[in-house]
Formats: sequence, structure tokens, C-alpha cells
Amino acid sequence: MIKRYIKKRPYIPYIAPAMMIMTVLTVFPTIFLYLISITDYQLGWDFGRIQVVWFDNYIRLFSGRDPDFGNAVYISLKFMVITTGIEMVFGFMIGKLLCDCEFKLKPVVFAILIIPIVMTPSIAGNIWKLMLNSEYGIVNYFLNRMGISKVTWLDAKMAFTSVVLADVWQWTPFVSLISYAGLCSLPSDQYEAARIDGGNAFQLFRYITLPSLRPLIFLTLIFRTIDSLKIYDMPFVLTQGGPGNSTEFLSLHVYRLANAQNGLIGRAAANAIILMIISTAVSKVLIHYQRKGE
Amino acid sequence: MNISRRSRKMFFSMGKGLILFIVCMFFLAPYWWMVLISLKPRVDIFEPGKFIFKPTLEHYVSIIKNAHILNYFANSTIVSVISTIVSLIIGSVAAYGFARFNWKKRESTAFMVLSQRMLPAMAIVIPYFLMAMVAGLLDTRVILVICYLLFNIPFTILMMRGFFEDIPVEIEEAGKIDGCNGIQVLKELILPLSLPGLTATAIFCLINSWNEFVFANFLTSVNTKTVPTSVMLFLSVSGTKWGEMAATGVLSSLPVIIFGIAVQKYMIRGLTFGAVKG
Repeated sequence: MIKRYIKKRPYIPYIAPAMMIMTVLTVFPTIFLYLISITDYQLGWDFGRIQVVWFDNYIRLFSGRDPDFGNAVYISLKFMVITTGIEMVFGFMIGKLLCDCEFKLKPVVFAILIIPIVMTPSIAGNIWKLMLNSEYGIVNYFLNRMGISKVTWLDAKMAFTSVVLADVWQWTPFVSLISYAGLCSLPSDQYEAARIDGGNAFQLFRYITLPSLRPLIFLTLIFRTIDSLKIYDMPFVLTQGGPGNSTEFLSLHVYRLANAQNGLIGRAAANAIILMIISTAVSKVLIHYQRKGE
Repeated sequence: MNISRRSRKMFFSMGKGLILFIVCMFFLAPYWWMVLISLKPRVDIFEPGKFIFKPTLEHYVSIIKNAHILNYFANSTIVSVISTIVSLIIGSVAAYGFARFNWKKRESTAFMVLSQRMLPAMAIVIPYFLMAMVAGLLDTRVILVICYLLFNIPFTILMMRGFFEDIPVEIEEAGKIDGCNGIQVLKELILPLSLPGLTATAIFCLINSWNEFVFANFLTSVNTKTVPTSVMLFLSVSGTKWGEMAATGVLSSLPVIIFGIAVQKYMIRGLTFGAVKG
């Protein structure tokens, strides 16, 4: 019987092992996460002490008993919109610039663009921390030279901006490389025809470049949005979520609740579920819009 | 008129060149600064303006001697390599199924594979932490290898699917007509033809596992720290040991950057999970 089943579906033996492993690795832990989130489990407890508190962990989040949660959601979404926006615009512009120019050193430029993408985020975060140091950082040194007085980059006011800066540094090249590939693959005959018809540069961009690159732009947008929503390592190294809670993104909030000092696993799980729901919702919306245009 | 147009054009291309130069400087600067710091004598690190100094290898010597950095490198290497090999074997087989067979729900299955990419690691790490605690796997390499399969397998499936689709079916059919059996077709035809793709996929898996932070930070504490989490060790009460930190950074980013530039041709494919063949 199994033989007949497989004969009808010859792909099953190929994909079954991978699918089984992926199910075990993601579906079961996710269900487990939901179960933890309705308990009051804390690290170090015997499992007998666990009580089911149903939705208390969630109610706590939305009733304002956990003020850091609202802040975390707010700054995570803010961070997502700001960094994705900056990276998409600048990345696209750099991609366009690279596509328009022809020069010998192009491979060098690509090599330079690859460095931030492949560099370990936690190490990059540390380097930014050193560069942005208000006393002996190189950034302030140059600003001083230009006559701008000391900027305390990592204080409560500026920390968010610093994380944005570091993220933009790391991920703008990602957008550049992808939009470069897309822009360079566009056929030039459409442009010529439009130019003969008297289209100006903006019209060419609006009516030819954007529609033909739509799938690519959406793809980049989805990757960048989700990744910036999940961001953890860069702010963890750069600011540890502080000062105060000024850079405590959702992932960092989950970590702070769940780490060894606090150990509030149940509450952290509820936060994690919210993080999961938000990122699923955001990607669903984006994918919906991507498909709508097709 | 002609001259002015030409000079305008030159002016523009110079402007573009200048902008590109600034852009490159911006993206290169932190890395370059890290290399510089790693070579600076301890006292000079706190004087950012001092660009001329006697380069020293003291930080490199110090991290190798005192900070057990080689252990962390060994952990990172072992975990990344094993996880990559396992993903390549399991993932490529599945990718071959996706590329060569067509079934009704193929695309939605492929989308399910892609959606693993959207899963926030920080959310999924909590159940892993508890399960590892119960199973006694906390702070072992095994748990890290398992966790890294979580993102390496989907990546391999989607990447290799594209590479397999690039190989014409006719080649396989011709091989079968010539009397090769299934395994021979795989060994003699598909494997050599997909070798560049396999190499590129392997390198991307290695880079991703090497850079991974959330699982490594959450699930390991002493024995199996990986390089990305070891940089936290240089934050001590007496201030950060910047020189040592930078030296670690240089040593650990050198292999990924060399690898990254080596797979430059496939970079776009790799960054988009095989969605754009670029």
C-alpha cells in the first residue's frame, strides 16, 4: 500500500525527510511555546509548581501592567518603518548609480558592499559602539574637527538613532545589490520608445522602472521588514536595550524577561507569541499586496 | 554647445564617481577602523586622532593566550560545518524533488518552506531552551547544530531548487537512455553539474551559521560559546578591552568576508533565498 501511495506521488521520498525534520523543529516548539505562554513558569521551578494562568500573561501585556511591552512594540514598529524606508531608498539609489556607471573598479565596489552584509552583526555592533563612543570615538573626533560639539550617541535620546545608523550601514548594501541586478536586467528598448514619446526621467521611472521591478522591490521589502522587526544582535551589543528602555525592541524585551536573572519564562513566552503574530501579520500583508499586483 | 555638453557630462560622471567613493568609504570605514584598532597599541586606542602609530600584534597574542579564543573558533567551526553538511544532504534531496516533480500543492509547500525565514528566532528559542534543559543538552554543540538546521535546511531547499532547475531535464533523460540507473545519473550527471551551486549554498550556510547570535547567546554559556557571542566577554568591569575585541573581530570576519567575495556571483541568489537568479 505504501508502495502504491509513493508510486502515485514520486516526490514524497525526496521531500519527506526534510519536511519531517522541519515540522519537528518548528511546529512542535511553536505549540510548546503556546502552552508555556499560558502558565506562570519561572526558571528554576520544579515542574510541579507550574500553574496554568490561562490568558493572564496576555492580559498583563495589554492592560498596561507591563509598560515596557507597549514601548517595545512601538519602537520595534518605528524601527522597522524607518530603517526599511532609509535602506530601500538609499539602496535603490546606489544600485541605480552602479548600474549607470561603467568603470574598471566595479568589482572592488561590490566587494566593499559585501563586507557589511556578511560581517557578524554582533561584532559590527561592537565596532559601532567603539566608533560612537562619546569620549574617544572616531565619529565624535571628526565631528569635533568640523566644529560640531560632542554628541553623546548612546544616551537615551540618541541611542535609537545610533541603532538605526548601524542597521542602515549593515543592510543598505543588501538592497543595493538586489536592485542593481534588477535594474541592469531591464531591457533598454522600452526606455527608448518612451523617451521618443517625450517621457521625462520621472515618468520613465514611475511608469517603466517601478512596475517592472515591482516583484523584486516587494521581495526586498519583505526581507528587510521582517529582519528589522526581528532585530536582536545589533542593539543587544550596541546598547543592551538601554539606556532605560529606549532601544528595548521586542526581541530584547523577550530576552530580558527570559534570561537567567529574571527567568519569567511564562511571560516571555507570551511576548514571544506577540512577536511571532506581528511578524506573521506584517509578512502576510506584504505578500498579499505583492500577489495583488500580479 | 558641443563642448559644454561634453563638459557637463564629464562633470556629472565626476559627481557620480565622487558619490560612489563616499558611499564606499561609509561602508568600508567600520571594518577598516576595526583592523586599525586591532593593531594599535593599548594606550593609543583612546586617542582616535592618532593615525600614525607603531603597529603591534599584542592584542592577537593576548586573545590567543588568555581568552581561549581558539576554543570559540573551534566551536563555531564544528557547529557550522556539521550543520551545513547535514542541511546540504537533506536539503538537496528535497530540492531535487521540488525541481523535478510537479504536484498540485508544490508551490504552497515551497512557500511553507520560505515562511520558516519569517519565524523570529527569539520566539522559537524559548521552547528550545526548555527542551534542551530537560534533555540536558544546554551548552552543548548538539543543540546548536539542531537549531542551525532550522534555517539552513529551508535555505538549502530553496537555493538548490533553483540550481537543479537550471540543469536541463534532457541531460538526465539522455543518461537514462544510455543505460545509467538512478544513482548513476545522480552521481555522474547531476552532482558534477550542480557542484558550483552546492558550493555556493554550502558557503552561504556556513556564513549564516557562523554569524548566528540568538541561539548561541541563549543556549550556550561556558563550554560551547561561539565566536559571535564571545565578543561579549571583552566587556569587563574595568572597561571594554577594545583591542582584543577588534582582534577577535578581524580574525572571525576574515573567513566570512573571503567566502562572501568568493560567492559574489551567487550573492543575489543567496540573499533572496534563490528567488532572484541575478
